[in-house]
Amino acid sequence: MVTLSTDVLVIGGGATGAGVAWDAALRGLDVVLVERRDLAEGTSGRFHGLLHSGGRYAVKDPHAARECVAENRILRRVAADCIEDTGGMFVATPWDEAAFADRFVQGCADVGVDCEEIAVREALSDEPRLNPRISRAFRVPDASIDVWKTVWALARGARQHGARVLPYHEVVSVNRDGDAVTGARVRDPRSGEEIEIEARVTVNATGAWAGRIAALAGIEGVNVLPGRGIMIAMNHRLVNTVVNRCQMPTDGDVIVPIRTVSVIGTTDRLTDDPDDHTVLEEEVEQMLDDGEKLVPGFRRARALRVWTGVRPLFEDAKQAPSDTRDVTRAHAVLDHKARDGVRGLVTITGGKLTTFRLMAQETVDAVCAQLGLQRACRTSVEPLPGSETGRHYHLGERLARKEAALAGEQMVCECELVSRAKLEQAIDRFPAASIDDIRRRLRLGMGPCQGGFCIYRTTGIMHARDGLAAEQANGVLLDFLQERWKGSWPILYGDQLRQARLDDWIFQGVLDVEHLPR
Amino acid sequence: MTDLLELAEHESPRGSLDHCVKCTICETACPVSNVTPLFPGPKYAGPQAERYRVGGEPSVDASVDYCSGCGICTQVCPQGVKIAELNARARDALKRDRGVPVRDRIITRPTALGRLGTPAAGLANFALGLRPARIAAEKLLGVHRDAPMPRFAGRRFSRWARGRTSPATGRRAVYFHGCGTEYYEPETGEQVVAVLEHNGFEVVVPSQDCCGLPLQSSGLFDDARRTVLRLARALDGALGGDPDTVIVGNATSCTLMLKREAREILGLEDDPVLKRVSERVYDICELLLELHDRGELRTDFQPVHETVAYHAPCQQQGHFIGKPALELLALVPGLEVRELTARCCGIAGTYGLKAEKYEIAMAVGRELFGQIEGSGAGSVACDSETCRWQITHGTGRPSAHPIEYLHRAYGL
Amino acid sequence: MNRELHYDAVVIGAGVAGLVAATRLAQGGARVCVLARGVGSTHLAPGTVDVLGYAPDAVREPGPALEQLAASQPGHPYALVGAGVVADALDWFVATVQAGPLPGYGYVGGGLELGGRYPSALGALRPSALVPVTMAAGEAQQLGRLCIVGTPALRDFHPSLCAANLAAAGIDARAVPVELELDRADANTLGVARRFDDPGWRARFCARLAPLLGGEDHVGLPAMLGLRDPFGALADVEQRLGRRVFEIPTLPPSVPGMRLYEILSSALRAAGGRLVLGAEVVSGRWSGGRVEAVVTRAAGHDRVYAAPWFVLASGGFASGAIELDSHWTARERILGLPLRGVPPAGEPRFVPEYASEQPLARAGVAVGGDLRAEGADNVLVCGAALPGAAPWREHSGEGIALASAFRVAQVVGELAGSPAEATA
Ligand SMILES: Cc1cc2nc3c(=O)[nH]c(=O)nc-3n(C[C@H](O)[C@H](O)[C@H](O)COP(=O)(O)OP(=O)(O)OC[C@H]3O[C@@H](n4cnc5c(N)ncnc54)[C@H](O)[C@@H]3O)c2cc1C
Ligand SMILES: Cc1cc2nc3c(=O)[nH]c(=O)nc-3n(C[C@H](O)[C@H](O)[C@H](O)COP(=O)(O)OP(=O)(O)OC[C@H]3O[C@@H](n4cnc5c(N)ncnc54)[C@H](O)[C@@H]3O)c2cc1C
Repeated sequence: MVTLSTDVLVIGGGATGAGVAWDAALRGLDVVLVERRDLAEGTSGRFHGLLHSGGRYAVKDPHAARECVAENRILRRVAADCIEDTGGMFVATPWDEAAFADRFVQGCADVGVDCEEIAVREALSDEPRLNPRISRAFRVPDASIDVWKTVWALARGARQHGARVLPYHEVVSVNRDGDAVTGARVRDPRSGEEIEIEARVTVNATGAWAGRIAALAGIEGVNVLPGRGIMIAMNHRLVNTVVNRCQMPTDGDVIVPIRTVSVIGTTDRLTDDPDDHTVLEEEVEQMLDDGEKLVPGFRRARALRVWTGVRPLFEDAKQAPSDTRDVTRAHAVLDHKARDGVRGLVTITGGKLTTFRLMAQETVDAVCAQLGLQRACRTSVEPLPGSETGRHYHLGERLARKEAALAGEQMVCECELVSRAKLEQAIDRFPAASIDDIRRRLRLGMGPCQGGFCIYRTTGIMHARDGLAAEQANGVLLDFLQERWKGSWPILYGDQLRQARLDDWIFQGVLDVEHLPR
Repeated sequence: MTDLLELAEHESPRGSLDHCVKCTICETACPVSNVTPLFPGPKYAGPQAERYRVGGEPSVDASVDYCSGCGICTQVCPQGVKIAELNARARDALKRDRGVPVRDRIITRPTALGRLGTPAAGLANFALGLRPARIAAEKLLGVHRDAPMPRFAGRRFSRWARGRTSPATGRRAVYFHGCGTEYYEPETGEQVVAVLEHNGFEVVVPSQDCCGLPLQSSGLFDDARRTVLRLARALDGALGGDPDTVIVGNATSCTLMLKREAREILGLEDDPVLKRVSERVYDICELLLELHDRGELRTDFQPVHETVAYHAPCQQQGHFIGKPALELLALVPGLEVRELTARCCGIAGTYGLKAEKYEIAMAVGRELFGQIEGSGAGSVACDSETCRWQITHGTGRPSAHPIEYLHRAYGL
Repeated sequence: MNRELHYDAVVIGAGVAGLVAATRLAQGGARVCVLARGVGSTHLAPGTVDVLGYAPDAVREPGPALEQLAASQPGHPYALVGAGVVADALDWFVATVQAGPLPGYGYVGGGLELGGRYPSALGALRPSALVPVTMAAGEAQQLGRLCIVGTPALRDFHPSLCAANLAAAGIDARAVPVELELDRADANTLGVARRFDDPGWRARFCARLAPLLGGEDHVGLPAMLGLRDPFGALADVEQRLGRRVFEIPTLPPSVPGMRLYEILSSALRAAGGRLVLGAEVVSGRWSGGRVEAVVTRAAGHDRVYAAPWFVLASGGFASGAIELDSHWTARERILGLPLRGVPPAGEPRFVPEYASEQPLARAGVAVGGDLRAEGADNVLVCGAALPGAAPWREHSGEGIALASAFRVAQVVGELAGSPAEATA
């Protein structure tokens, strides 16, 4: 068995774990990051897309709001390229308690959110599809953030500073030597191969799974309540600004424009399994009704896809709340030396995507303390690879790129404008990738046709380039078809059902995928 | 209250992109992308690119300017995506960002051109026929030296109309003649009036101007809006209170502008006058066929022993009424009618005049020209004047509005 | 004015079903008008006539399999039209193509007796009863050594994967990629087909391909052998390459399908029928249990088409003629006709496994045995609008469209007392 040894082993390749790896590597530590699946395949890749301004928590949770205010400003600098500066709005709809708006203004002032009231007319002229019956509107510096771009950039940056990043490596056991955690054993779920990793400090950054890893280390009582929420992506930008309802945070009160789509969310259900991705019909109904309140006609607009994410809400053992939204959104750094007398392990869980950098900073501070090192955190000033210019991305970028290469660049995924060259690059860099892995990197297959046209093209190109056996190629194709279907069938109505029928005809009628040699 | 609003939004060009299933049917029919890679095609430039456009952000896809605006994509789309309308709006945004060539400002104003050219028709026609003048115009203005240019008639239809009154019959038609009839082909207008009167209409010709279509198709939306609203008011004024009075036109693209395009493309859905006008507008052949269907069209046609090829222009097809001219021509004894199936002649209004687009327009027209040549027809009937000029330019065959054949057959 | 026009029959939809029904009615002497929002799935589908490919196991002899299907699934469209009509419709179809505008082009194959199997672009073997002559040489039984040709310039066809799957099925196949310069990075088979119409281009293509071929006796190409004279193009290419050549259907747009549209729409024209494209039918005017007229959304103003008979050939969920809304209510959008096969409220419409049959699959407009819509005495239904089939899994879409359209015209003839048969 291969054995690696390192200063810091980070378990979990979400934004937090990748952020920890980047921070630790910047501080000159030797880092190995392991993720059981692909990077950002956990909660990070299933979130809502909102870089909070702090407005949402201004009244409810001022502590969390303050963190958001600060982190929003920092990330706009250091992760500029991962952010679209959409701006945000809070609007008071007829369903919202009128008095809340004044509390909101006060809350924003208290925690430092830049909040400006604008005329309803102005709000409607900026966002013509917004419900004309809103009574007040406020501008805040919300933005949307592309999590895949962020996590790849973190991983790339960490690698550039010597870190080893190992996706598809699942921790199967945590090694203890007396009162010390000494590393972990990881397994590649695809090949079954195992690696032993020795580490001076192990960071448990597994979000909603953190309790399980703690338990593997023999530590009890790290209770992470998985709170499952659904989001629905609508086919195009119904709004170009993040639109929030001006009320106490609840379900379905935000629409986030991100990339080509707008996403409504979210719900909140307690579950005991962080891998539970059930989508209940009643949740879908609830989102559509909520969408209708913000954007009349929402139900007639085209829903592309639904997905679920599981919040890592750390439970303070003293109370057992029933509604997970009452648990604080703040994060928890558990230094198990102090908490449980076990050296070499730090757990970081809870929090938000918006605060991942802060969470990583506090975590690596604790790691350094355990290692007896004093090294300053640099992530608030060091831009991520790709963000050096400080410019935000904008929606038209891919279109502009294609325009510049109109006659030269073949598009494989037409909806999300993914070129053959980009696809081939990805195939070469990740030889054993599934189409889903490629999707996360390139957004391939995520547009209106949900792979109807690009799945065949991609499989064909992978086959020719990768030298896959026919059965493997067929498997890749069928897996992705199933993957697409998973997020499609619970919201399949209207325009998207017509699309699904065309796709059925393509796959079953034209290509006859059901009768491929297996 | 929101229900209607919602519906409007959902069926607006932007909202209609939700219906696109990427099926490629628009690509199969697009005459332009089939002959040049400069235009990436209706699916790409329309519903696909639209998802990347954010109001207020600069236009990044100048290639949409190569769309000729013929509207065939919208017609063939089985899902109801307003592709051509999306493209038109994108072109407008592009022009607002990048400015409009002087050439486009000139050729999109047929009224001004007509007023200039008419008094000096002899000279103007002479100059337009001169190679050096055309080369100069190409260099200076970007109007292709070989592009088909109409000849000024030297007289204006409206002068003729003003000099006469139609006998009162109690059944009124407001005649919208358009600029082509006014300055270049007044005889077509005279034929329309005669045919309508022959069928018992009292024809009213209000004073009128351009419909704004050339401006709109070159992406000059603000000017186009002003122009079309002015026209709508003029026509509305002539309707009087009579709910049965219709507005009838022979310029099929201009009637389409009034019926639909101004409202959908220029976003004038809510203008009440334009709405009233658009509901009353008829294409001349549409009106006559409807009369015929009710047994009210006079069929005292004399035989015409000729073979004519009929081309339904793209804009005529945009009325979504089929090809009424075909059925009318079929009523004329002796007249052999050959239906041409090629969809587009290439000119698309002013598109084919532009130096950088002339070759594309001619390439688009090639299929149609070939069909005409193979049809054995001596002349071509076609509802749109710019298409007729292009057809004659491309084939050397004479062309005329279908009404001309009916007029002759009536012996008027 | 009331903008109303009168016809003997109005057909809604210009897919295979609508065009065939209208042509048959017009051939029977009726004044027919086809109203269609746009063209139908002809431009997308492979252009083969798939009568019954899977039931659910692979069908070798469609004729007997149809009888069995009709017996075991009385609500299936084939049970309603009957196997005899299917056979007549296929015969008529073959003759119509033969007489059509494309010289030499025809449909061939085992028909109802012996279905053939032809390579798909993925290299599966698709069952079809009839295929265009340009696909005929691809029949699996006759294939010897095979070479699948594609080009990276074309994103919609991938020869290596196609050949690998054929090889896995025991066919001696290999892939040959050729370099082609197309002026457009995103070219599709239609773009190439337009070039295949040019003999000079064909010759250059063959000259480039020939040296890459080995001892193969068959060459498979993506379906792009031209639109104007595909038969001539096939003969030319076969002669130049000295091998049997055949087309393989791939992603839309479909070149063979466009040929089919050309053939069927010109048959309609020849029979005197009218076709109005862009005419979305939005509603009907009812009188008791009959539809008097339908209303289209034309430019500026609605237009009314009155007729004693209406044929609903507007397709199913794919064309948008039947819709499931966000409240999970399914409805036929034009006339509001009752549906059959929609899972009741509370039951799943879809299941999580893509490969399973979806509960909503067989929903369609409820009809009686004579294809008349329930609740509308003078409205007949054909094609993908019919309930009872899952045609993409059965590989029965074109067969159903053809046979049901053929049958609808017969029924109108019988009911109207002027048999459409008379002139056939
Ligand atoms: C519905 C929803 C919407 C949200 N929207 C927003 C929002 O708009 N804005 C915002 O700021 N925040 C949002 N959040 C919160 C935010 O998404 C999360 O706080 C954040 O993504 C957590 O990141 P993480 O890295 O801690 O966890 P994760 O991304 O879940 O990463 C943990 C990783 O650990 C891996 N792992 C688990 N077990 C093992 C093992 N044994 N071995 C190796 N790896 C393992 C998992 O695969 C996973 O990738 C939302 C959350 C939810 C649920
Ligand atoms: C990509 C694809 C692949 C296919 N592959 C196969 C295959 O391998 N094997 C097979 O057997 N079959 C296949 N088919 C199916 C087959 O082509 C069709 O199911 C069959 O031809 C049925 O056609 P139809 O005429 O009933 O409907 P369609 O072809 O869907 O035509 C419907 C028509 O109705 C019109 N319409 C709809 N609503 C309105 C309205 N409100 N007003 C006016 N007009 C309206 C549409 O514009 C269209 O013209 C495939 C189809 C597709 C799309």
